[in-house]
Amino acid sequence: MNNYAIEIRGLVKKYPRFQLGPLDLTVPHGAIYGLIGPNGAGKTTVIDLIFGMGRNDAGQIRVFGFDHRTDAVPLKRRAAYVSPDLNFQVWGKVGKAIRFVRGFYPGWDDAYCAGLMKAFHLSDNDSILTLSFGAKTKLSLLLALARRPEILILDEPTTGLDAVSKQQVFGELLKAVENGERTVLISSHGLSDIERFADHVGMIKNGMLLLEGRTDEIVDRYRLAEFFTNNGTGFQSREGLIILKQAENRWHALLDQKTGAHEWLQTHGAEQISLTRMTLEDLFVALVKEEEAE
Amino acid sequence: MNERKSWLIGPISAAADGTLYQQIVDRLKREVSEGRLKPGAPLPSFRALAKDLLVSVITVKRAYEELEREGIIYRRQGLGTFVAEQGRDRSREAKLNTAQGLFGQAAREAAEAGLKPAEILELAHKVIKGK
Repeated sequence: MNNYAIEIRGLVKKYPRFQLGPLDLTVPHGAIYGLIGPNGAGKTTVIDLIFGMGRNDAGQIRVFGFDHRTDAVPLKRRAAYVSPDLNFQVWGKVGKAIRFVRGFYPGWDDAYCAGLMKAFHLSDNDSILTLSFGAKTKLSLLLALARRPEILILDEPTTGLDAVSKQQVFGELLKAVENGERTVLISSHGLSDIERFADHVGMIKNGMLLLEGRTDEIVDRYRLAEFFTNNGTGFQSREGLIILKQAENRWHALLDQKTGAHEWLQTHGAEQISLTRMTLEDLFVALVKEEEAE
Repeated sequence: MNERKSWLIGPISAAADGTLYQQIVDRLKREVSEGRLKPGAPLPSFRALAKDLLVSVITVKRAYEELEREGIIYRRQGLGTFVAEQGRDRSREAKLNTAQGLFGQAAREAAEAGLKPAEILELAHKVIKGK
């Protein structure tokens, strides 16, 4: 009856200098969902609230229908969390950390864990203190994956990873969702990775959701429009059209093809209109810049 | 068993022409039209292929949907996805249609550049020989 792995409605969290929300966010079952946004947009706040770190001022978070406050235990049993801030040093060795964490989770998969150790080049006797930054992230991911959680929530898991490690991480995430029964929510600044690997994306800015949907549909929907004017016609941003740049009679704008903005331009004095596909990163930059210009 | 097949069509790259899903469509069409994937042959599940090609599940799903629409592959609920009997013909047909469209576009561009029909043909010959 519940189609979403995570359903966030009207979520508000107030800080002295920042307010998150009201935010609605929906993560479909079996998807890899990329949560993106500039620094300070509220991504980590959202993730922390899901896991009950901090109290929200309004709204609801449901994970598989479980309320994040009243059903915190069943929620946490099903969800795993990975962040570069997690610190496993107190256990000294990788093997000890694994034996400790393993004890909490009945669903722990030893064979999978051994496979991940190999893939991530980790071994029982590695001292956690001397692991590289990337290897620590991989350990954190391993401890989360080997529990076989129904949902995996990762906060900036690929920050500071080299290209090879990044591909290993995404490879493991794609394997984790292969049977369609697991869901991944990942916050990241690596937008080309998100575009390639994430089925859905949600973009937040200043605590508000800017857009959300299937990655391919979002990328298909927007175009960079270049056009010319010859009689001094002025253009301003309007629905579906964000003016990015103007130099003399040459204009650059972000165009939302769903709104009929292209037709509008054609009938309002724009000439030689050319539309170019944009990457998710281009789109992100255009949308974030717009706010700053206002 | 299926895993080996998907190796044939990788890798998919953001640096290559076309979107990732179009690349998958084109590669699979080529496999079918050149007879390496035979009618009735099973294709990997889209999640398995996504894992192999390191792309999102949505990307592969979309590619399969397009191939299904064109009649090159078909899906059987609970059994999987297979190459259609007429997949090879359809695949060739689709390629011919695309080629015709591209030739048309090339001809229009050339005409706009002021070339006469004979000169356009000459240009086409040059391009083909160059390959």
